[in-house]
Amino acid sequence: MLEIFKNGSKLLGMNARNLDYIRPYNRKKAKKLADDKILSKRMLKKGGIPVPKLLAKIRTAEELENFDWSSLPSTFALKPNRGYGGGGIMVVYGRKKLSRKEIANTEDGETPLPVWVKSDGGKVTVEDLKSHILNILDGAFSLANMPDIAFFEERLTLLKLFKPYAYKGIPDIRVIVFNRIPVMAMLRLPTKESGGKANLQQGGIGVGIDLATGVTTTAVLGKGKIIDYVPGTRMLLSGIRIPYWKEMLLLAVKAQEISGMGFLGADVAIDRVRGPVFLEINARPGLSIQVANLSGLKERLERIKGLKIKTAVRGVRVGRDLFGGEIEEELEEISGRKVIGTIEKIRLIGKNGKSVELEAKIDTGAGFTSIDTDLAEKLGFEDTVREYQKIETTYKDIKHLSKTERWNIYKHIPNLESTVVVNSASGSTYRPTIKITVIMDNVIIPTKVTLINRAHLKYPIIIGKRNLKKFLIDVSK
Amino acid sequence: MENISPIIGYFIHQGVPLETVVLLFMLPIVVTLIAFFRQVIGIKAFGIYTPAIVTFAFLAVPQLRYGVLIFIVVILVGMLLRFALKGLRILYLPRVAITLSIIAFSILILLSAGGAMHRTGLAAVSIFPILIMITIVEKFVAAQIEKGNKAAVILAVETLIISLFGYYLASWPLLIKGIVAVPWLILITIPINIFLGKWDGLRLNEYIRFREVLKNLK
Repeated sequence: MLEIFKNGSKLLGMNARNLDYIRPYNRKKAKKLADDKILSKRMLKKGGIPVPKLLAKIRTAEELENFDWSSLPSTFALKPNRGYGGGGIMVVYGRKKLSRKEIANTEDGETPLPVWVKSDGGKVTVEDLKSHILNILDGAFSLANMPDIAFFEERLTLLKLFKPYAYKGIPDIRVIVFNRIPVMAMLRLPTKESGGKANLQQGGIGVGIDLATGVTTTAVLGKGKIIDYVPGTRMLLSGIRIPYWKEMLLLAVKAQEISGMGFLGADVAIDRVRGPVFLEINARPGLSIQVANLSGLKERLERIKGLKIKTAVRGVRVGRDLFGGEIEEELEEISGRKVIGTIEKIRLIGKNGKSVELEAKIDTGAGFTSIDTDLAEKLGFEDTVREYQKIETTYKDIKHLSKTERWNIYKHIPNLESTVVVNSASGSTYRPTIKITVIMDNVIIPTKVTLINRAHLKYPIIIGKRNLKKFLIDVSK
Repeated sequence: MENISPIIGYFIHQGVPLETVVLLFMLPIVVTLIAFFRQVIGIKAFGIYTPAIVTFAFLAVPQLRYGVLIFIVVILVGMLLRFALKGLRILYLPRVAITLSIIAFSILILLSAGGAMHRTGLAAVSIFPILIMITIVEKFVAAQIEKGNKAAVILAVETLIISLFGYYLASWPLLIKGIVAVPWLILITIPINIFLGKWDGLRLNEYIRFREVLKNLK
């Protein structure tokens, strides 16, 4: 029991968030900026941060009456300027084709009013938009019900990677930034329940992210239910590698600098075309991010209180070092090389695009990469293997011959690249080589490999030194 | 009453009814209780005004159960009306005005139905607690729009719970006697509120909300 209360002090609760972080670090003026989405969008843009395009804004009922509805694109997001927690946001995904009757009903010379489609397939007419905007103007979604402004915003396009995970809407990445240091992050996925919005309060999914690598860890549905898969599917939520990770952390920290707030939640999304796009800053970030990451914010915030961080780049590095899980990525970044183990999963591409996926032994003692004859057959080199096996010569028979004479023995073999001498523990051999492509840890290596019968060995392929120049080998991996 | 502090005696002498004096002294206690529920336990309710005023409405009805009944009917009708009025597409204030009017009629029907079933206690409820409870529906409608139906119902239930605690606390004879005897005791609520205002520990409900995280912390 005592243990629970002791651990409780590592977590950031509502009281501590308001009293110890928002109050002292977020000045009123800065908070005002964060709560005003149009203004903060303009400020961020001025600071060189990519933001979604502002399409139009409606400030008064009069402006609403005179609004040109046909100026809106087929897809957009309608938002209250001072909304919070994702409330009052309406997203449309396309324009509905009008039926002949609807067109006939409009008066001559007038173009029919457009109709859009929502995430659930429901129709959105101009009347619907008007009533929604009236509610926004009236302050139904704003903090303290203050009269508000409605605005239309460009809807971002979904990244292919996120497609199977997200229901309709665009996932975004929430980063808590304090004192120029990213402290904790999560991927927020819209669900059916959240109506295409990524806010956890609305029933979205939050997935914790390792700050160092940008790889997802654990997931929470809504405000507190731990899940492994996207509900109703077998899509595993952990292990997703977020692209543009470093850039996104950098954007989050830069936004903090611009906002003038000490403690905030930064929301960044990834557009298929534009890459990372900054969505908004939050002066009162939610606390469920702790559940998604299964770790406490307070503990982290206290560690970096008072640190003097001069630049955003440095802040990002400190955050990743302090709060990230693995440092391997860093090593890869410093050396520009990938870290691999002694056994690696690879893909081979042979003749006519034939490909095989298998495990390879990494052998720094070998010069050339060699593959088993059976494997070469699978890669479409049946002819090469057949012709090669017909020649019954040993190294001793031909070692006195000149290079050309030796080549003459082998040259009729189809797809042959060259022959090489391979000195190994079992004696020296002449081996033919063929040209294939090796893909290891996403690195594509077109290479010559030697052919040999490895049927008695555990791995049908060893990767030799010639192909390991772009890698560092970690024997404990 | 046997022990009346001189200051209370002075108030009574000036013509302030004892009941009014006691209720005014109860106010700091009730609002401190509400602050405690929010900061330490994590029960939110509709701010501080609504649970406080509902507490006093409960204190003003002859029987608590009728007060609770009216509260529940108000919230239920308010909830149904949201769905009924959704199609009208009208602005916030006119919508609340319609809601309030219909609730007023519903309460009238409820009171007369009570009379018909010989529950005279219900009809005997004075008008002010009834009006107070009708007007809290505005808070409910606002919460419905801002946070959704489920959240609004939870907040309403929380308001009811806090008001019930407030009711039992403020009608506790021992406490009333104590205040009449030593009214200065009320001043304790100020340091208590300063403490609550500086309390940055987890709220009790946050231990539940973060249970999975707590399990994982070493």
